[in-house]
Amino acid sequence: MDRILIVDDDVDLCRLLAERLLPEGFALEAVHNGTRGLERAVSHEHALIILDLMLPGMGGLDVLRHVRHQSPVPVLVLTARGEDVDRILGLEIGADDYLPKPFNPRELIARIRAILRRASVGNSTSAGNSRNGPIAVGDIHLDPAAREASIDGAPIDLTSVEFNLLEVLLRDAGHVLTREQLTESVLGRKLGTFDRVIDVHVSNLRKKLGHAHGEERIKTVRGSGYVFALRTEAR
Amino acid sequence: MIFTIRSLFLKIFLWFWGTVIAIGITFILTWVLLHPRNFQSASETNLADTAWISGKAAVDIFEQRGSVGASAYLQQFTIKTHLKSCLFDSSGSLLAGEVCPALDDIRSRDVPFDVPAFHRRRGFLRVLISLRGSRGRRYIYAVESSERPGPPPGISFASVALRWSVAFLVSGFICYLLTRYLTAPILRLREASRHLAAGDLGARAPAGMERRRDELGSLVRDFNSMAARIEALVSRQRQLIYDISHELRSPLARLNVALDLGRQRKGDDPAFDQAERDIACLDEMIERLLTVARLDTSAAPMTMAPVEFTALVEQIVRSAGFEIQEQEGAIHLSAQGQYVVQGNAELLHSAIENIIRNAVRYTGRGNAVEVSLESTGDPVLVRILVRDQGPGVPEQDLLNIFHPFYRVADDRNRESGGTGLGLAIADRVARIHNGTITARNVIPHGLEVEMRLPLASRG
Repeated sequence: MDRILIVDDDVDLCRLLAERLLPEGFALEAVHNGTRGLERAVSHEHALIILDLMLPGMGGLDVLRHVRHQSPVPVLVLTARGEDVDRILGLEIGADDYLPKPFNPRELIARIRAILRRASVGNSTSAGNSRNGPIAVGDIHLDPAAREASIDGAPIDLTSVEFNLLEVLLRDAGHVLTREQLTESVLGRKLGTFDRVIDVHVSNLRKKLGHAHGEERIKTVRGSGYVFALRTEAR
Repeated sequence: MIFTIRSLFLKIFLWFWGTVIAIGITFILTWVLLHPRNFQSASETNLADTAWISGKAAVDIFEQRGSVGASAYLQQFTIKTHLKSCLFDSSGSLLAGEVCPALDDIRSRDVPFDVPAFHRRRGFLRVLISLRGSRGRRYIYAVESSERPGPPPGISFASVALRWSVAFLVSGFICYLLTRYLTAPILRLREASRHLAAGDLGARAPAGMERRRDELGSLVRDFNSMAARIEALVSRQRQLIYDISHELRSPLARLNVALDLGRQRKGDDPAFDQAERDIACLDEMIERLLTVARLDTSAAPMTMAPVEFTALVEQIVRSAGFEIQEQEGAIHLSAQGQYVVQGNAELLHSAIENIIRNAVRYTGRGNAVEVSLESTGDPVLVRILVRDQGPGVPEQDLLNIFHPFYRVADDRNRESGGTGLGLAIADRVARIHNGTITARNVIPHGLEVEMRLPLASRG
């Protein structure tokens, strides 16, 4: 049974969710303020953290920032519907995905499953599977089994979503992957209208990868998607 | 300032000026008309005195030395005083004097005894007096001033015109200043109230005008305090809407989970489906209400970027196509080009979607919806027209349909599931993008909503 932490000040909602998630195979631990939430979030006891961005005391964004300094644990943020700024900031700081509140619990369960499935791919599959073997493209090496990535031997600190995104891009390096494809394979869900989650993740990943010969490693293909450039290899 | 014939400035100015000119004319007329009858001017008195003295002397000399002596005397008199003079007998025959042909025309005049009679000819002042000689004989003595006394009317057209135009301009200038002093605060007040009416609740009359101590100053102070109060009331109300919508979300979130739990425990039930639809409806309504409140307060900064407007409309029309197929209708889009608008894609999407959804909802079974997209020349705008074939809207409601929750009397909106906020959102989105939105009825029936947005400048 996966342990999940929820940080939300709505006590009743947490109780209801715990009840609802139990039969789905998730043990939900609820914390109602930011400071305590941060303590529990970095304890490495949880498979996933659900974080409400509108928290009393330490705000959700601050909690997220601190968590990201200490742990790559997947984080799903709950935002007020339409509050674009919070949503984008949350993703930029390192949330894996977001869900506007009020949400349908089935949607929440689907998101949790998608994130956990992707996060566990590397650990659960056999190393002999070629689809999951280590990859090297140019100076970047990625080992899905160990969930480690490096540039020129220097390890890169990636969140689980960023790791999955990089893996998907590297496996199809040189080929354009549409935003729909990336959203489905990385976040495990369909691309929504005005869904910018994948773009924020790509942008975060770009920052962490840095430039190769003064150019972005992940190129934007206007109107269709993204491609991991092979040009560095050709030289 | 633009002066229309109805503008207060022009009215006050013309009234002032007209009054000043009328007073001037009245004054001059009174002076000119009344003066010769009631008063003798100093020059007339002088001339009369001179005439009496010299006249008596001339008569004496004439009686003693005859015509030659009198003529000599009068000649001397003319040289000394620059006054022309002649002596006539009572019948008007010339007795003495050399310049008398010039005075010929007065001989026949009836000269009253003992009272000097004044005449003006070409501006020259003349006086006629009647004298009695030593033997009781009557004489008429005429004196004409050879200089022009003062500025007699009609003497020089140019100088009069100059004086008049100077008076005209000076009075006009003074009236202009006075009028400006009175109307400038009114115009500025009007400017402020227009801004206020247009939704700029922070608009106030300039603080400098509040310091005036007259009635206009109090008007400005009253206006500003009224504006401050309106601003406080409106922003409090908007904040309230925002807060309410925000607070409604928590119970709604719990309701969602509770409903799902119930469904899980009791199995599927049509009652659960209904509850879920209602929760979804509430959720949508709150979301739109929040959108309206946010657009009204413009608390959150909007991220603006170039938006592929044609592609956005095409996408909405495509998804509306599925909906309208269910009611056996069709939706057609004719776009004249690929337009780019500087704006917020999400808001624009929501605005256009609301307009088109509305048209689909009202066009009626089997009827089409026409969407057209074109640019207009100057200023550079893109115009989107959405036309349905529904019943239209009563003329008096054409403006009101953009107000939140406004419902036309015989509306079928409720049963067709509208929230009453779609067009309100579209209206606010248009305004935020410096655009406009209007609705009009079309013939034979139907409603046409037009939204104009400025195109992004390319380059």
